Amino acid sequence: MSATFTIARRELSSYFRLPVGWFTIALFLFLCGCVFGLVVLAPGRIASLRAFFGGAGWILLPVVPAISMRLFSEEMRSGTIEPLITSPVREFSIVLGKFLGAAAMLALMLLPTLLYAGVLAAVSPRPPEAGPLVAGYLSLLLPGIFYLSIGTLCSALTNNQTLAFLATLFILLALMLTSALGPAVAPISLQPVLAWLSFDSRIQDFAKGVIDLRHVVFFLAASVFPILLAGTALRARRLG
Amino acid sequence: MLEVREIHKWYGPFHAVRGVTFAASRGQVVGLLGPNGAGKTTTIRMITGVFPPSRGTISIDGLSIRADPEASRRLIGYLPESAPLYPEMSVTGYLQYRARLFAVPSADRTGAIERALSLTSLEEVRHKRISALSKGFRQRVGLAAAALHRPGLLVLDEPANGLDPTQIRQMRETIRSLAQDSCVLLSSHILSEVELTCDRVIVIASGRVLADGTPAELRQRHAPESAILIEIADAETTAATIAVRSTPGVAEIDPGPSENGWRTLRVRLRQTKDASPSDQLAAVARSLHNVGVVPRVLTPDAPGLERVFHSLLESSAESPGAAA
Repeated sequence: MSATFTIARRELSSYFRLPVGWFTIALFLFLCGCVFGLVVLAPGRIASLRAFFGGAGWILLPVVPAISMRLFSEEMRSGTIEPLITSPVREFSIVLGKFLGAAAMLALMLLPTLLYAGVLAAVSPRPPEAGPLVAGYLSLLLPGIFYLSIGTLCSALTNNQTLAFLATLFILLALMLTSALGPAVAPISLQPVLAWLSFDSRIQDFAKGVIDLRHVVFFLAASVFPILLAGTALRARRLG
Repeated sequence: MLEVREIHKWYGPFHAVRGVTFAASRGQVVGLLGPNGAGKTTTIRMITGVFPPSRGTISIDGLSIRADPEASRRLIGYLPESAPLYPEMSVTGYLQYRARLFAVPSADRTGAIERALSLTSLEEVRHKRISALSKGFRQRVGLAAAALHRPGLLVLDEPANGLDPTQIRQMRETIRSLAQDSCVLLSSHILSEVELTCDRVIVIASGRVLADGTPAELRQRHAPESAILIEIADAETTAATIAVRSTPGVAEIDPGPSENGWRTLRVRLRQTKDASPSDQLAAVARSLHNVGVVPRVLTPDAPGLERVFHSLLESSAESPGAAA
């Protein structure tokens, strides 16, 4: 486990040593700032960050692939994958370490947006409530972690960062569309299954301020599958 | 220490490595020598566990790299070709990261890093970013990272690639000092470098081992002809040629062109059981002395590894199935 955290720590720190990491953070915060300023701070609205969380959820769609695209693709392109996979660390520890590093980056990227809650509290007669605030952040963090797991898998499959980015974005958009429209347009027999698989409805629940443990488990469990596949991809690479 | 037995590697229909077998022990510097595309890097990647052989076995200190991958990898230090590193990290930051990956105990970590920095003369750039280092320094960082956990087997793929002559000499000295505790396996296509650095040379071409032995053994086995170079006054050419030709063991004399009144004779010698090359040199000197010829130069013209290498490649091209 210590090797996993070693890899996670290196991964996290590399985002802050490279321009691409700072650019991603800056872009995310700029877009979030726009949503907050234009939608949440509009005069006459109640003190709620719900609209912000809804907007930020969409911003995550291109931002998360930007975080995950280099996880393995860059290592494969530059050749650093060789010293890494010849170290005495299991494939799944490597994948988990990289994924955790990226997840920590996502969490740190969300951290400055807490300022918006402070601003809202300062300018509004009724400060935002803590419960919906926590649920709102879970509506960003948990799907974000799930998106990252898909990004990790895509990055483990190619040495081309652009391809990893586009593949992740495409899969996420396809999942979002299926999730949002699937239950409505699918045959009746499939609708209960699609409704259960839909993460859009779960995100909506969080946005409403509902913290349902089943939704938490759903997103975490859904993240495991791509991570296992990424580990298998790395293992297949090692097995030639 | 390292035992490689009958390893093969196929990339689809392409048979890249064909039954490579050898063993190496601690204290040895073994060179894998071969032209580009010979199968050196593929062999090295199989030994270090980048991918397994399609067939055959590799073990390190009795641990199979297939059955005990983590334990056997702990015994290996690997410097891949062109020393891939994380440019955004500092030298010590990278070494700390590698030490943690190889589970160097925290109490020993600082000492291990200091030792690796000192061994590779990186102390002055320890806090620099890797992206700010020259090619030679980066190669040394890669070597320091490979040697950090004191591996029993150090595998270096083309360690002298892209280095200038001074850096190559420094790299050679570092490798020799590392070989005191470890078995060093290095690949190279630079013949002179292999000859100067390695105790033992394994020549590979088309995925096969063509020869295996010390440079002296290879010279004797695969380029047995030795020669002597004599430089004499032009006027004494005839007398010297007659005298040398009558010396036992002399096969042929190739006279060179005359230059400023001096001429070089290349005397090719037959290999005999009774006389060593030094004895034959002494006999030629005596013959010249007997006819009153005093040479300006009298020196053995030993065949270099280059001649061995070309002779092996030529014979392998003539009979592709042959391996020694």
